[in-house]
Amino acid sequence: MRRLLFCLLLAAAVQAQPVVAPTPQRAGDAKGEDLAGYNVVNSIETGYRFRNVDGNLDKYRSDVNYGNGIRVLGSYLTINSKKPGTGKLFDEIVLSTQGLGNDPYQFSSLRVQKDKIYRFDSVWRWMDYFNPALPIANGQHAINSTRQLQDHDLILLPQSRFRLLLGYSRNQQDGPSFNTIQFPDGRGDEFTYLWNIRRTRNEYRLGTEFEVLKTKFHVLHGWEYFKDDTRAPLFSPGAGANPTDTATLTQFRRDEPSHGQAPYWRIGIHNEALKSFTFDGRFTHTTGQRNFVVDELAIGTGRFSAAQNRQVFVGGNARRPVTTGNVTLSWFPIERLTITNHTALYNTRMEGEGSYGEFANAVAGLNFLNFQYLGIRTFANLTDANLKLTPWLGVYSGYHFSERRIGSSEFEDLDAPTRLERTEQTNRLHSGLLGLRLQPTKQLRLSVDGELGRADRPFYTTSEKDYHTVAARAQWKTKRWSLLGRYQTNYNLNSNSLFVHSARTRLASIDGTFTPKPFLTLEAGYGHTHIETVTGLAYFSLGELIENDRSLYRSRLRQVRLGAQLSIGRRADLYFGYHRIQDAARLGQSLMDQAFPLTYETPLARFSVQLHKKLRWNFGWQYYNYKEQFLALQDYTAQTGYTSLSWSF
Amino acid sequence: MSPVIRAWGLLLFSSLMWAQSKDPYIGSQACRACHSTQTQDFFRNAHTKADRGCESCHGPGRAHVNAGGKKDLIIAFSALSPQKSLDNCLQCHSKDWSRNNIRSSSHSQAEVVCSNCHSVHKAATPKHLLANQQKDLCYSCHTDVKAQFSMPFKHRVNEGTVLCADCHNPHGAPAPTWRMGQRPRMQQHAQANEQSCVQCHADKRGPFLFEHAAVRVDGCGSCHAAHGSANPRLLNRPVVFTLCLECHNGAPGFGRQGQGIPLQSGSHNMADPRYQNCTTCHVKIHGSNADARFLR
Repeated sequence: MRRLLFCLLLAAAVQAQPVVAPTPQRAGDAKGEDLAGYNVVNSIETGYRFRNVDGNLDKYRSDVNYGNGIRVLGSYLTINSKKPGTGKLFDEIVLSTQGLGNDPYQFSSLRVQKDKIYRFDSVWRWMDYFNPALPIANGQHAINSTRQLQDHDLILLPQSRFRLLLGYSRNQQDGPSFNTIQFPDGRGDEFTYLWNIRRTRNEYRLGTEFEVLKTKFHVLHGWEYFKDDTRAPLFSPGAGANPTDTATLTQFRRDEPSHGQAPYWRIGIHNEALKSFTFDGRFTHTTGQRNFVVDELAIGTGRFSAAQNRQVFVGGNARRPVTTGNVTLSWFPIERLTITNHTALYNTRMEGEGSYGEFANAVAGLNFLNFQYLGIRTFANLTDANLKLTPWLGVYSGYHFSERRIGSSEFEDLDAPTRLERTEQTNRLHSGLLGLRLQPTKQLRLSVDGELGRADRPFYTTSEKDYHTVAARAQWKTKRWSLLGRYQTNYNLNSNSLFVHSARTRLASIDGTFTPKPFLTLEAGYGHTHIETVTGLAYFSLGELIENDRSLYRSRLRQVRLGAQLSIGRRADLYFGYHRIQDAARLGQSLMDQAFPLTYETPLARFSVQLHKKLRWNFGWQYYNYKEQFLALQDYTAQTGYTSLSWSF
Repeated sequence: MSPVIRAWGLLLFSSLMWAQSKDPYIGSQACRACHSTQTQDFFRNAHTKADRGCESCHGPGRAHVNAGGKKDLIIAFSALSPQKSLDNCLQCHSKDWSRNNIRSSSHSQAEVVCSNCHSVHKAATPKHLLANQQKDLCYSCHTDVKAQFSMPFKHRVNEGTVLCADCHNPHGAPAPTWRMGQRPRMQQHAQANEQSCVQCHADKRGPFLFEHAAVRVDGCGSCHAAHGSANPRLLNRPVVFTLCLECHNGAPGFGRQGQGIPLQSGSHNMADPRYQNCTTCHVKIHGSNADARFLR
């Protein structure tokens, strides 16, 4: 008993599983039961989830969002024909679900197949996202959108040399989102409002895979349709964001439909006819197009209290054809050496026309035509060699080159004057890689990698220019012990004579798992990530241009993970976990000196006991404690938990 | 029966017996005698469809059986080098579109091959025969990523609705051409070799009449930490205006003409909190059809 108590106390300090439910242990016999030529394994977990939040409920909903109520926390079903290929309509069904009922994160996955005839895979997900309206929330977590994703794929004749592929995907987003209108013009006050977003993406796929002369081909044609019918019907907005501005907005309406399609082709070729050489080719072409209209009406008073109304109408289309090609050649001159060369070509041009019309107090104020073109052509060539010098020592090296050309034209016809601007920029990047793999004993693996890169003209001030990466890793694994230590540093310097940008990231971690007995597992881990960036800034303050200021960002993330898993007499399972993340950076002294000190900890415990061969009772508790120094009103603590029965029929 | 027919029958039978004794394959039935743990539930396994059963992966077994189970006369994956193990699986599994770059992937270079993540005999997931739940498999090596998914704002991987493989291709991916082509090398490409983010965030995909070039030129990672962040919207900085101003500072040598990324308007007073949340007004920051400054 004392020994058991010691184990429990030790366990109480060990590994964290971030979400307490569903319970991983299933009810029923893992071998299943035979029924009419099939073997059936199933387990369903139903129960009640509860929560109690103290502090900022909205922030809790942004981070966690589990609520109260009855749920089908998880379910699992497999049906397999006892003799492969003998099932009448199917040989295998695998169905798993999670969070059905009213959890914010719901998931189901289904596979049905009949040997040599068909294979059908389906995934359905539903997510309820709560989010702050503004990036720095001030406690206003007002966005509550839901997203539903579905993917369905059917393969006919899955084991033959000729396979037919059919697929359908759907992505739907609904719910309130944040928007702003400036009135009466760009210099006016800002009126924020929430509007209901309605976005849908449908994709249909039809393709084939076949083999001819030892070469495998993959040909797929897809049609993607997207529509955004988000609208703000006529309503009376609240006060503007600027209390000193006297403009008012009494009525506002905006319709902004955007519909488009993107049919695409993709072709893959794979050849392994020669033992020492393989060829992979991948080619895609997509023609994307969107047609759009914006119809907006705003009525109120201007900054001099005169009645003001404004109507804006925009119409046009945007197009983006993309062509890509990828070829990978792999050569194995000797058994211990692999040389691969990968070439990628990407070519796109984004272009479109739009006409903008504006009427202020029923008089045409502005009317202009826009044309924009942005073209990107990227060529990349990557060569890597991997050599196993001895059974315990391997080296690899690589040379990567890429070149990107960006060209753009902007055209604006504002009543009479015309402006056409053409620009072009080319950036070349050379990078080299070197790595060493060591396996001095069967249990111990060591590796060290480095990468050094030089770009001559990056597009952005924060892009990679002169960078290097060094990473080291050690792993020791026995039947009882598993230890993993990692260290990595990334450094990027993108400075020139008049400007400075440097970014450094260092991370180190150590994780271990110890299984002293088959019924007990202990896990622990510690990691820290240090990020430091400094970037030159220029901006206006009180009408004055401030130059040579710097943006500083510091993050000192520390992370502790502890967990223990204990099985008692093969009937009960106990899990304790603790997870804590802390950003220990000091809060900055000025606006441009940024850090975000916070602590976020989640201890949890879960107990599952077998009441009967086909019935388990589960109970779990998880505590969340969020504290930040930036805005204390966002802090919260929450108790969440569940009690459930897992049963099998 | 005539003696001639009898002689022909005998000849046929003996030649069949001779051929069978020469056949290096013995059939899965023979494996069950010793490897009952591996074979008793194997009817659930997709590999039952393989033409030669156990010997499709483990090679011809007759010599192994005749020698009383000698280990070096059969292909045992635990004894294979990572390269050999990979080659063995690719004999059948190389045809899929998603595995085109497996040999040049970072996993293969680090000697992480099929058997490190997949378990044919003790799979935790019937689909894909993974040795553990997908996220736990990935976390076992990528411990820093595990930490990122424990941040307050994150993609819901731990909650089970988003999978690592939604965005990454563990079997290797082509060079990422949404930025310079060197990294990341394991990201799943959306159609048209785009960043995988737009697969779900389809509204950010466009095309737009006015594209925010940052999205197309350096990718979503310019502003967002995709795994997790302490900042809302997975932003790289806690304060939005510094994120924008770090590029929009007019520093010479950058941008389309080398004259800098355009500086903010002189009408913006950064000392006023009203201007510190840039996306309050520039709401269509990923791209707009109506306004070159992304205001609507």
